[in-house]
Amino acid sequence: MLYLLVIGPILAGIVNILFKKRDTRPFIIGVQIAQLSYALWIFVQVRTNDTIFNFMSGVPDGLAITLMADIISSVFVLLTTIIFLMMLLFAYHKEYFNTQFAFLFLVLQGLIISLFLSTDLFNLFVMLEVSTVVVAILIMFNKEKQAIYDGMIYFFVNVIGTAFLLFGIGMLYRTTGFLDMRAISEAIVEVESPRAVLLPFAFMMTTLSLKTAVVPLFSWLPKAHGTPSAPPVVSAVLSGLFIKTGVYMFIRFSAMFEPVIQVQEIFFLIGFITSIFGFIMAMGQNDIKMILAYSTVSQIGLIMIGLNMGSEIAYWGALFHVVSHALFKSTLFLAAGQVYHQYGTRDIRMMRGVLRAMPLTGFAIIFGILGVTGAPLFNGSISKYMISYGSYRPIVQFGLNLINLGTITYFVKFGSILFGKDNRAEESKPPREDLLSELLVFIMGGLILLTGVYGPVSMDILFGYQVEVFSAEYFEKGIVYALMILAGVGIYNGIIKQGGLLDRISHVELTFNAVITSMTGFFLFIAGYLYFVL
Amino acid sequence: MDFITGEIVGILLFFIGLYGLMTKKTIVKTIMSMSIMESGIFLFYITINYTDGSVPPIGQAQEAAFVDPVPSALMITAIVIGIGVTAIGLTMFMHYKQKHGITHWSRNRNQTGSEH
Repeated sequence: MLYLLVIGPILAGIVNILFKKRDTRPFIIGVQIAQLSYALWIFVQVRTNDTIFNFMSGVPDGLAITLMADIISSVFVLLTTIIFLMMLLFAYHKEYFNTQFAFLFLVLQGLIISLFLSTDLFNLFVMLEVSTVVVAILIMFNKEKQAIYDGMIYFFVNVIGTAFLLFGIGMLYRTTGFLDMRAISEAIVEVESPRAVLLPFAFMMTTLSLKTAVVPLFSWLPKAHGTPSAPPVVSAVLSGLFIKTGVYMFIRFSAMFEPVIQVQEIFFLIGFITSIFGFIMAMGQNDIKMILAYSTVSQIGLIMIGLNMGSEIAYWGALFHVVSHALFKSTLFLAAGQVYHQYGTRDIRMMRGVLRAMPLTGFAIIFGILGVTGAPLFNGSISKYMISYGSYRPIVQFGLNLINLGTITYFVKFGSILFGKDNRAEESKPPREDLLSELLVFIMGGLILLTGVYGPVSMDILFGYQVEVFSAEYFEKGIVYALMILAGVGIYNGIIKQGGLLDRISHVELTFNAVITSMTGFFLFIAGYLYFVL
Repeated sequence: MDFITGEIVGILLFFIGLYGLMTKKTIVKTIMSMSIMESGIFLFYITINYTDGSVPPIGQAQEAAFVDPVPSALMITAIVIGIGVTAIGLTMFMHYKQKHGITHWSRNRNQTGSEH
């Protein structure tokens, strides 16, 4: 009955349109709670029994469109339902929560869940295409000029990206004769030479790299996630959850091709470059949403590092980082939405004294920053510790510390909005945000701390992976963290405040044609690399 | 002329469309190139695993091999999606042009479009 998770929110969205004269918000929240409890039930079922399969229309395995809930996908589905419930509660009293918004948002939830559950390649293509349309409309929801331009770039780049996936699926079907991922991974061993699946692999990886926004294909992400006028819940879902569909598909697809093609080294390197590039770009931004958007690029790079390091603990650490990133990034985006609504600007140089003006949001921002920078006892520290535990090579350790230092530096810049003196005139302040959304942001912040303090427990519950985290080494890392904060403050005051070169680098942008050219270049690079390696 | 098969032509069309996307700055041409690219994919799909003399899988006739019906079924879906996507792309473009008079991809997101 896994399809209920997919079709439930979409039906709820349609009902919401049919009864648009009435207040449908309590109904939507009710559906979300039902959704969450069903996802929880499936989560428990997968843990206690085994992987759940759902073959559509009674066709035998291998031919049917299959939905599958296993250890990884059930966690992702649970995360999706939790975040969506939080987001809809947050938006409950906001003016943008109207019928159309609720419909699109609920459809997006169904699509994200189906991307996590489906094992049928063509089904994945359809879901990606439809979700591109829905997300593009959500980005341009306020119909501002900038938002429409950003939405158009997002839309066209992603539609062209999915065309690559469709072509890859066709070639794979031609070679193996299957569309189901599990059937393909069994059949792919029989392929006489790895060269036969080289091209489909390169096509598919181009799409997935676009979806996960690695270097050089990330330039659509800040535009889409940092669109000024998009509602904060949309940015939060895009950055917290939707980007993870790409990561999830990367995990599935590389597992599918694993018998014949291994590309861990190259994606490890790409992850590193992405992460470093992300924090350099984030340092020069002054727009509160753009900092967070580039931070997503950097953190996705970190997840790719963990996934491709080739060690078990780093792999599970990266998966836990997916969960923790979803929590802290959506908290930060929601908080940023609250703050810029209050201050009427998105320039972080103009905002001061958030902690005093809006204490609950301020504390949520503190929790979020501590989470993303990997402070001891917060969830980011658990996952980052596990990723760094995966390798003892000095160069890798150095790189990971460099990434963390960069993260700390731009979050010092971000955190400067919390303190200082509020310069706004008393009469220009808008009325306070509604209490429900304030509380929700704070609860999200609390979750960051909770999953951190009970890190090993939540790791065991979520992925069934036992890890000993709180050792002497963990507290050593705490001291390193404190030193890094000092270094980060120093770098911020010494270098970043001056602007100059960094400021210019971080405002470089690719045109639409350049994005497509880099996509083609990436495809040729992967194909050429594989041609020489295999 | 054996090498002019549906598959080869499909691949060529795909890359012709890609070339258009890489080089053309007009938004309408972008949408057209996208359609060309998609037609290439459709052609590729419906000609894969085709053997000469096979018949459509309709009725009970057994004298010849059946064609694999899956790619055609997939392509019906993909064509419908393609039409939807093109329509949405055109809608966005028309809205953008009528409101802001911009028909080209601009260099910088903070600038308005070029003066053509």
